[in-house]
Amino acid sequence: MKNRNGDDSPISKSDAEYLQKHEMGRRDFLLDSLALGGLAAGFGLAASSSAWANVQPPADEVVRIGYLPITDATVLLVAHEMGFFKEQGLKSEPPTLIRGWSPLVEGFAAGKFNLVHLLKPIPIWMRYNNGFPIKIMSWAHLNGSGLVVGKDVGAEKFADLGGKQIAVPYWYSMHNIVLQMGLRHAGLTPVIKGQSEELAANEVNLQIMPPPDMPPALAARKIDGYIVAEPFNAAGEMLAGAKMLRFTGDIWRNHPCCVVCMNELQVNANPEWTQKVMNAIVKAQIYAQKNKREVAAMMSRDGKRYLPMKADVVEKAMTDYSDERYAKPDAIQHPEWGSGRIDFQPWPFPSATKLIVNELKRTLVGGDVSFLKDLDADFVAADLVDYRFVKAAMEAYPGWQDAPGFDADNPFAREEVIKL
Amino acid sequence: MSVSTPTSMSSPVSFFSSATLIRILGKLQYPVMGITGLLVLWWIGGLLIKNNEHLSAFSAFAPVPAFQALYSMVASGEVWAPIASSLSRILVGLMWGIAIGVPVGITIGYIDVALKIANVPFQFLRMISPLAWMPIAVMAFETWDSAIIFLLVMATVWPIIFSTAHGVRRIDPNWFKVARNLGASGTQMLRRIILPAIMTDVMAGIRMAVGVAWVVLVPAEYLGVTSGLGYAINDARDTLSYDYLAAVVLVIGIIGYGLDSVCNVLIKRFNWHVE
Repeated sequence: MKNRNGDDSPISKSDAEYLQKHEMGRRDFLLDSLALGGLAAGFGLAASSSAWANVQPPADEVVRIGYLPITDATVLLVAHEMGFFKEQGLKSEPPTLIRGWSPLVEGFAAGKFNLVHLLKPIPIWMRYNNGFPIKIMSWAHLNGSGLVVGKDVGAEKFADLGGKQIAVPYWYSMHNIVLQMGLRHAGLTPVIKGQSEELAANEVNLQIMPPPDMPPALAARKIDGYIVAEPFNAAGEMLAGAKMLRFTGDIWRNHPCCVVCMNELQVNANPEWTQKVMNAIVKAQIYAQKNKREVAAMMSRDGKRYLPMKADVVEKAMTDYSDERYAKPDAIQHPEWGSGRIDFQPWPFPSATKLIVNELKRTLVGGDVSFLKDLDADFVAADLVDYRFVKAAMEAYPGWQDAPGFDADNPFAREEVIKL
Repeated sequence: MSVSTPTSMSSPVSFFSSATLIRILGKLQYPVMGITGLLVLWWIGGLLIKNNEHLSAFSAFAPVPAFQALYSMVASGEVWAPIASSLSRILVGLMWGIAIGVPVGITIGYIDVALKIANVPFQFLRMISPLAWMPIAVMAFETWDSAIIFLLVMATVWPIIFSTAHGVRRIDPNWFKVARNLGASGTQMLRRIILPAIMTDVMAGIRMAVGVAWVVLVPAEYLGVTSGLGYAINDARDTLSYDYLAAVVLVIGIIGYGLDSVCNVLIKRFNWHVE
């Protein structure tokens, strides 16, 4: 997976095509072709909602969940397993495990799933680049990611990463955005180059890598660090001797990562059903935040086997946030924020959506990003997210206030705090 | 008498078995050398990983942990369910590959114009990685299982088509002439001449298809199924349990070798060429 774009300038069309053709993994096929409008062209579909409307969600009312085997899926799994859907009078099929973002998006687009979790930036280009009627219904969790470096890299802070190779799970990810914020703040320039190409002292080379490959690549010193969701940080620490440089939740206070998404057509066609689903999701958020350890064991290989990892790994990934253990490098610089390694609350703060849209414009990614240029953050925050159902559910089922970061007087608004 | 029976029985038995044993050993000599060589290479690779201080956490790739994992998978019985589901997917995929590939292969092999028309599109389609069909498979098929089988069919159908067509074109045209002169109908031509003549090539195509099918199976089981050997490999990767990964690779290798041997026996069985 080599990249050759030499500088920080926006990628030209030919470069984008080159990257698309040669340098991205096959696993990214659909996502990248979607991002480049390639799918629409390939299928003879106009990139409009009318074309996508052909793929109608089935009219039945069974909740069908698709998920990736990461802790980001927690609330969907808890809502099913703990019977919160049943409580609302809904039927839910056992959640379907999918191994990559691309097939998950494909399954969702084809109407196989009506409830999924996606990295927050994915719905942005699904809706605005491809005209797919997707809606963000709530957040899936807060925090839950980190930047780790190899044990011999000797990096203690972002400024030490000059001339290094860092892997990200996905160009359109909160991880890529936060990483590049940190690098730019430290005076470094993110680039996408081939691994053999010379890096200047102030450049940091980025590449996409599937999360399971990250710990071995780090151990083999193919990369110097990676930023990804749990439990692959925990695995890297345990297997490859990786050091946690910084938790992302310590940079951007209580940031979103994955969001819960549904098809807008289904939401509008069936508001009562949607309300019940969101009630269950909110209850699951409250439950997961209160019972992290129990939920970790339930989801693990030793419990109900939703995730392939053992209970101790999932538990570490969800609860191990000790300031003393992560003192060197100083991965937790703001213990007073009261955040956890992962936290659960449903409210999709508009301020965070705006921040992501604005930051995305300035973040280096592979592929064509022209659709981002004209995207207005305020419009996206109002148009992409459906606040009605999650708010009604939160008003009906209190308890979510225990999650970190809520202002008791004005719980539905906040100021984004970023401390690099 | 009760004493003499075992003695009188044992000598012919041992005589028989020692001769057979020598014969079997003679046959096994070369495969054993090959397997030993592979094991040695694997073992050296394991040692290299183990002695590299950075990689030592990944030494579960080595033969000993892999065989231990294999043993525990077999002993606990957890190895059978994934074998059953993967094998059934492969066999169903192969059956569709044959059901589509053989008629199409015969058509383009027998009818010149059909070959001329189909050659370019088929060569084009053949080069497409079956995994690039994934989005289409997901959208077109109701269940995840059928999407995976579709991917397997897209992998297996091409070697069967081309091998079959090759076999048909290899048939001596004089046979058709003779058959026609003897008043053979189209069906008779197919049953008495074409099918027997191309069986070897069809089997060779199937043999190639089996290999490709296993290669495609692992990434295809990325899709929403919850069992199978590809699924087990993905699981092992997600959990970084490399001993299980290596053990599943062993299982796939053994089954693949078994299927290949079956094809080989069938090829010999149908081989009418004088050698």
